[in-house]
Amino acid sequence: MEKVLDWLDYRFGLKRSHYRFLQRRVPSDLGYTYCFGGMAFTYFLMLACSGLLLSLYYVPSEKEAFRSVVMITDEVTLGWVIRGLHKWAATLFIISTILHTIRVFVSKAYHPPRDLNWMVGVMTFVLVMFSGFTGYLLPWDQKAYWATEVGTAMARSVPFIGDNIMNVFRGGPEVSGATLVRFYSLHILYLPLSIAVLLWTHFHMVKRQGISRNL
Amino acid sequence: MTRRVFLINIIKSFFALIAAGAFATLWYIYPSTAKKRRLQYVFVLDDDELPKRGVRKVEFKYSVDDSEILNRAFLVVGEKGLNVFSPVCTHLGCYVNWDNNRKEFLCPCHGGRYNIYGQVIAGPPPKPLNRLPFKIESGKIYLGVTV
Amino acid sequence: MKHDKRFYPDYLSEILATIFICFELLVILALLYTPSIGRQIDFLKPFQPRPEWYFLWLFELIGYFPGNTAVIGTVIIPIVYVFLLLFIPYIDKGEKGRLKAALVGIALLLTFAIFTLLSLL
Repeated sequence: MEKVLDWLDYRFGLKRSHYRFLQRRVPSDLGYTYCFGGMAFTYFLMLACSGLLLSLYYVPSEKEAFRSVVMITDEVTLGWVIRGLHKWAATLFIISTILHTIRVFVSKAYHPPRDLNWMVGVMTFVLVMFSGFTGYLLPWDQKAYWATEVGTAMARSVPFIGDNIMNVFRGGPEVSGATLVRFYSLHILYLPLSIAVLLWTHFHMVKRQGISRNL
Repeated sequence: MTRRVFLINIIKSFFALIAAGAFATLWYIYPSTAKKRRLQYVFVLDDDELPKRGVRKVEFKYSVDDSEILNRAFLVVGEKGLNVFSPVCTHLGCYVNWDNNRKEFLCPCHGGRYNIYGQVIAGPPPKPLNRLPFKIESGKIYLGVTV
Repeated sequence: MKHDKRFYPDYLSEILATIFICFELLVILALLYTPSIGRQIDFLKPFQPRPEWYFLWLFELIGYFPGNTAVIGTVIIPIVYVFLLLFIPYIDKGEKGRLKAALVGIALLLTFAIFTLLSLL
């Protein structure tokens, strides 16, 4: 084991560049409220893992989507567990993100130079909400269909260009198979990738700026 | 052309390229309207099954691109004769239901209420219920749906 | 200011413990409350649409803006909400900055909480 690690370290040079990171001092009087951000990230990773597994069986088409979700739940070994994990990780992710936001607000950790990091956090949160919205359609059942019908119809209330915005979201004038494919693509490609990039900058700034002190 | 001017032009055209790419991307994302939508008449009900006064919910079947769609609509016979209302609430697209006790169409989403003529009585809907085109031929009622 | 903990191994073990607890919580919830399968899309049956719990406040809110004012509930309020949250660091400027930011923050949180509760009634 030691040898394998050394072999890798010789190639990647991981130890030296991360030595300071691993050996740095951390304030010992941080409260337990400081763990919400880490919890949120944990749930993000679990969403990614369970989502990758679900995508092996899910079929994003108008005719097959509902049936494939039924199959994942009823036929696929442990399918119902993976689906449950994905669903609950989403809920817990959003709860811990809200708690994390409140903690950062209360500890005034949004003053410069951390102002940009606060904004990156808010942007991530918006994308997370969009992820929730697009994921809600994928089972293609009654609940999903009508929530999307209402959610995308909201865009229509914009004066003049409302209908055009709605068409972009729906991929046509009605919620149809085109909408399902659009939402699927957003849910499994665009949004997770954007969130991952934003989170990387989020953590990078935390690393550079250190943990804020409650003044 | 000096080297300097050439470089500036190259940089400018690079940004122009990006702008053109962004524009083309938006164009690509916008759903194409190549498919012509047309009105198709489907049989829903025999003439004599209509109530003398009141509302009758009808269910009908039609097909779009090989897939069958079951849908519903409301036939309303009032003082002005027959009207057909689409059940789609004009607020955010939920389907309204006819409440026979209150003689109103109720929307389950945000409590929009319409009277028997489809006009908004209360709630957030901005417009009256949509009227659907229909025709009566030899005692049969046909409903126009856009496919 | 005390700096007497090392990231490795002190802090790292705390992080791992947190991850462990998070995972346990998730697995317990997923095993106890399995998400149900909905019904197939059906235009004939009456159905009352409901969004996911974190959108309930917005769903409730848009019901309060009738006719042509609908755009306030559907687009303007969500955008204002996000922008207020985004610019909290700049609202908190000057002498009474913290007070202003606190008022904005509490208002946003209450909007979320109150309208979520209203929609559940």
